[in-house]
Amino acid sequence: MQLSRRDFFKQAAAGGIAITVSPFGPVQAALGVARPFLAHETLPEASGPGPVLGRIDGAAKVTGTKLYASDFRAADMPGWPPQTRHALLLRAPDATHVYEGLDLDALDPSAKPDVVVRAADLARVGVTVPPFYAGHLLCPEGETPLYLGQPVALLLFESFDAFDRARLAFRDGALLKFGPETGPQTRPNYAAYRFTRVAGAGPDAPDLYSPIQAGWISPGFTEGSGRPIWAPLPVSEGGDYAQGAAHGEAIRAELKAADPAVLTLERAFATQSVDPMFLEPEAGLAWYEPSGKVLDIVIGVQSPFEAAEAMATLFSAAQPDSRPARIDAKFAYVGGGFGGRDHTPFPLYLALAAMFFPGKPVRLAHDRFQQFQGGIKRHAFAMRSQIGVDRASGRIRAFAADHVLDGGGLANYSSSVAVVGATGAIGMYSVPKVDVTTVAEHTRGVTAGSMRGYGTLQTLTALETLIDEVATALPLDPIELRRRNALPTGGRTMTGNPFSVSVRAPEILDKLEAHPIWRDRAAHRQAARPGLLVGTGVACATKDFGTGADCALGSVTIDAEGRVAIHGDAVEMGNGIGTALANRVAAHIGRRADAVTVAQVDVFDALGLVTSGDPYAISQADQDAAARDPRWVPAISSATSASIGAHVGTQAAAEAARVVFRFGLWPAALALWGIAPRDPRGKQWRDAYWQADMLILPGLSPLPLKAIAAKAHEQGGVTGAMAHAFSRWAWAEATFALPGEDWTADIDALAIRRGSGGFERLARTSVAFPPADYNRIGTAFSSMCGTAVRVEIDRATGALTIAKAYSVFECGEVLVPQVVLGQAQGGFAMGVGYALLETLPPFEDGPGNGQWNLGRYVVARASDLPLHTLEIEVLPPLSPREPPKGMAEVVMIPVVPALLNAIHAATGHRFQSLPVTQAMIKDILA
Amino acid sequence: MTTISLTINGKAVGPLEVRDALTMNDFLREVLGMTGTKFGCGAAQCLSCAIIVDGPDGTSATTPTCVVPAVEFDGKAIRTIEGHAVDGRLTPLQTRFIEHFAFQCGYCTPGFLNEGQVLLERLEKAPVARAEVERVVAEALDGHLCRCSGYVRYHEAVRDVILADPARFLA
Amino acid sequence: MRSGLSLGAAFLAASLLVGAAASRSDAGEPSTLAPPQSFAGIADPEARSAAYFTELGKVLTHPRCTNCHPAGDRPRQGDEARPHQPPVFRGADGKGLPALRCASCHRGANFDPAGLPGHPIWHLAPAEMAWEGKTVPQICAQIKDPARNGGRSPGDLIAHIGDDTLVGWAWAPGRGRSPALGTQKAARALVEAWVESGAACP
Repeated sequence: MQLSRRDFFKQAAAGGIAITVSPFGPVQAALGVARPFLAHETLPEASGPGPVLGRIDGAAKVTGTKLYASDFRAADMPGWPPQTRHALLLRAPDATHVYEGLDLDALDPSAKPDVVVRAADLARVGVTVPPFYAGHLLCPEGETPLYLGQPVALLLFESFDAFDRARLAFRDGALLKFGPETGPQTRPNYAAYRFTRVAGAGPDAPDLYSPIQAGWISPGFTEGSGRPIWAPLPVSEGGDYAQGAAHGEAIRAELKAADPAVLTLERAFATQSVDPMFLEPEAGLAWYEPSGKVLDIVIGVQSPFEAAEAMATLFSAAQPDSRPARIDAKFAYVGGGFGGRDHTPFPLYLALAAMFFPGKPVRLAHDRFQQFQGGIKRHAFAMRSQIGVDRASGRIRAFAADHVLDGGGLANYSSSVAVVGATGAIGMYSVPKVDVTTVAEHTRGVTAGSMRGYGTLQTLTALETLIDEVATALPLDPIELRRRNALPTGGRTMTGNPFSVSVRAPEILDKLEAHPIWRDRAAHRQAARPGLLVGTGVACATKDFGTGADCALGSVTIDAEGRVAIHGDAVEMGNGIGTALANRVAAHIGRRADAVTVAQVDVFDALGLVTSGDPYAISQADQDAAARDPRWVPAISSATSASIGAHVGTQAAAEAARVVFRFGLWPAALALWGIAPRDPRGKQWRDAYWQADMLILPGLSPLPLKAIAAKAHEQGGVTGAMAHAFSRWAWAEATFALPGEDWTADIDALAIRRGSGGFERLARTSVAFPPADYNRIGTAFSSMCGTAVRVEIDRATGALTIAKAYSVFECGEVLVPQVVLGQAQGGFAMGVGYALLETLPPFEDGPGNGQWNLGRYVVARASDLPLHTLEIEVLPPLSPREPPKGMAEVVMIPVVPALLNAIHAATGHRFQSLPVTQAMIKDILA
Repeated sequence: MTTISLTINGKAVGPLEVRDALTMNDFLREVLGMTGTKFGCGAAQCLSCAIIVDGPDGTSATTPTCVVPAVEFDGKAIRTIEGHAVDGRLTPLQTRFIEHFAFQCGYCTPGFLNEGQVLLERLEKAPVARAEVERVVAEALDGHLCRCSGYVRYHEAVRDVILADPARFLA
Repeated sequence: MRSGLSLGAAFLAASLLVGAAASRSDAGEPSTLAPPQSFAGIADPEARSAAYFTELGKVLTHPRCTNCHPAGDRPRQGDEARPHQPPVFRGADGKGLPALRCASCHRGANFDPAGLPGHPIWHLAPAEMAWEGKTVPQICAQIKDPARNGGRSPGDLIAHIGDDTLVGWAWAPGRGRSPALGTQKAARALVEAWVESGAACP
């Protein structure tokens, strides 16, 4: 078992460093005794008091069970030395002067670190920075930090007390020495793209030009300042670009032409940087055991597989005494993510802390100042948009926009955010001519990455406020304007492909139009109490879910007593993925799981997966060649991000459950019913269904799951299945030879367990991966949401109150209704914070200076929200078979432009930047 | 250094010698390993670190632990999230939090649970009119930050515990 | 250079606390209070009295004072005088609502490791004594009005500003906050001179 696990990871991890987790162990009920890590993380606890309803992690979370990475200390880990040491990661509050080192002499002797790790130490050891985090992990002395908040040194302490004193001494940054002013470091931009589409003459005519046809294009040339040159330059190497750019320039010329039949508006909009502000600051525990060369890690991230690989890469070419043979990574529950824990560099520093303190368990934990200073941020966008609308028909003729993103100090997800923002920039509308340029720039700001609604939140706020302005200018009712332009089913997006999922814009608009908030808006405006301005706003969004190369690992087993256990690789960060897995599996096998373990990346070794290439960039020829190996998949495990949990994150377990039912429980049920194998009813497994834990086939006596499970074990039937699923805007589909039937399903790898045996891999007999060309799709998966809000603004103070709000959205099959509603309520709150409260200035006054906390950075509290007057409506799935769609991001987006549109309705003023604060409203009313 | 003794969830702890600069949060989490009490901001602005202090006069109040030195708790009796359930039996508030899906990531839950529990105990002694319930719940919980839930379900859960037992909580 | 600036600021703070000679902060504003005798050159007694108050006004309008003499029921916080987070309110006794009392966080003394200020009787000034947003002449009129100064006589004001230890906290507010200008002793001298000279308002 151990060997195959290593084999598996040798394929995946760099430099032959194996990655494992500790084996699963029994739950030790006695509290106070160090329990195996996975016993903490497997929920609900066998001995736990949890009610049957509610979240599977509910009881653990209301009793203070150790669950999050920040909860664990060395003493909690069986087999570890009991004493926890502490690490302090120091970050630069300055990125325009030369860093000259630490002033350790100024530190009180009682606060002295035992080990100081500097850039030179990393060079000496020979660490390899994973390409995703390219840049010095620690700023070398004598160089200007690349960005505010760049780490400069890692201090390691034997005692908590010394660490505690030192972190206070370093809090204001004064013990870091800086020399001459150099100005900020300049770096090339992270990404620049142009997305241009020119539709054909009618809805069914092929596009004249689109990214799907021509591929994605980037300008090949930059100005001295580093800005891309967007003009179509007539040079050979820019040929592909020049063709698209020529179309784009023609669209812009058309928008500029003064056609009286067309209303043309050009507007700027700027969005701010914000912090995900998940409540658990990043934290972890690590121990390098030098004799066995094992690096043990406990951490909570959204991207466990990536974090493990990144840590392995870090040491892949290190000096032998600093090179672990094995990384034993344990991934914990996460205290909020929102994208801010997806591909974060934090695990690298945790691993370094352990490596430079061999033999000693060491804890690295941000405080809130440090989390603001070093955590991943949302990109600030500067946008300029042009729209041309036919005055007579109210149809949008053309749209052009230019986006500039502040990517901060490291590339991280800047390129993806630029693409998603640009390709989402026309929202849920059908626009025949579109030209959008986007560039993500390096700056000395704190690194920006992927945060809830990324890219689209920014560009749809600009779009939906612009649409509102168009409606006023035409004039045309804002909902009617949207209806006339709404993307129809089968309509093409900006990249030239249609959505492959349900498109329900008209229903969303109908719902908004009929809602009393919208319907009665004039009456409420007129009935405003003295001193108050009342306004109602509406906005819509469509938001991609998935990234175009998403996968899931899952296993389901049932024992002879009928107890169900699920393992998944998706991460629980509040999203309810464990509960969603349990519910989705229960639909197939009649029982909510007795044990669910999430964030597991290496309990699936029986699948023997291998991978190669970049799933986002692979050629068709390479994919075809690789796919001949029945163990090959385009990617092994994904981050839990991009609202992918319900659709992809539960897919492998759900398909595994189907296999367990079809080839384990169903044959057992037939035996219990006494139905002979050749009886026609033997094929009617699709007609059977569960009522609680009783299996019903009309005309036969219901069978309890427990009896079926016992029979399945007795028969040596399939009692466990393990699967891998891959989606590139469509599922990979494969066929497996199962007993008595070739089984084709939306998975690309499968292993089964018979009776109480071990898992055995089944080689797929055929497979169809989604074409490599699908990588040209911006998104094919999208969910829609609309929001209406009524605000009341105090004329004298500018104070805004949300009097009433309504959000309506669709997400296919709802796996856990309360989680879906909760996400929508939380998304509303985060939207309010983004629209009205939260902001981080760039650069020296911003979070990189290490002085930011929640007194200055204000997020929405209950008193900022319409708790009792927020109405959420989820459209039922189009059909009972419609699969789940991601919804956790889209629910946040229309809240923001709806608020701005309501503010306009109340005050007559259109704000062109975020957030719109009370002071700003007061100013325009003065 | 100061030597302190206190009662946590009904059990005597100490005497233990602690630095005067040690926060109660670090005392609980780093010294005692009781990590049910969370660290969120270190500045008493999110209140995920709030615990219950039971006064000698029978009244109880929450207090943040991240900004208060451990030595302040010498001789005090406190309750943390680990101490609500008795012998594995969850309190009505804990049960209602689960049933309502009140929390998502759960990191702010200890603070909300302690605050809600103190409110319930206060209402037992000084019941309020039905019309006042939403207001007192909102007032009690507003100091607590939650980034996932939008607060709706926390407030509903506390309110529902109150309304489920009007003889106890309502005037 | 950042380190140089920080050291300079620390030196400045230290010198303020021992009441050293007048120095100027980074912003170019005076950081100490002028002593009463420095106004001896003003011949008109009423103008001189008003000048004492104008000087004292630099203290009264400092965030250390106005943050807890707020215009509404919610105190402000920090040198930026931002609304207090978490939201807390005056309550019946000026010490907070039942759910979140001032003393939950603000203990008997400053706790510098957390940057948290403290005093045994931490509370808000009564609503009628709100100074936030007011001009020095307005505050002067208010501070002389027994209906809006807690029923204090001018002599009581000397003790309140000059000797009260909660007021005195403004000059020793702990890590992360700039102290009020000058010293409490210097402020007392100004109040004394102002009261003795007839308590004229600017």
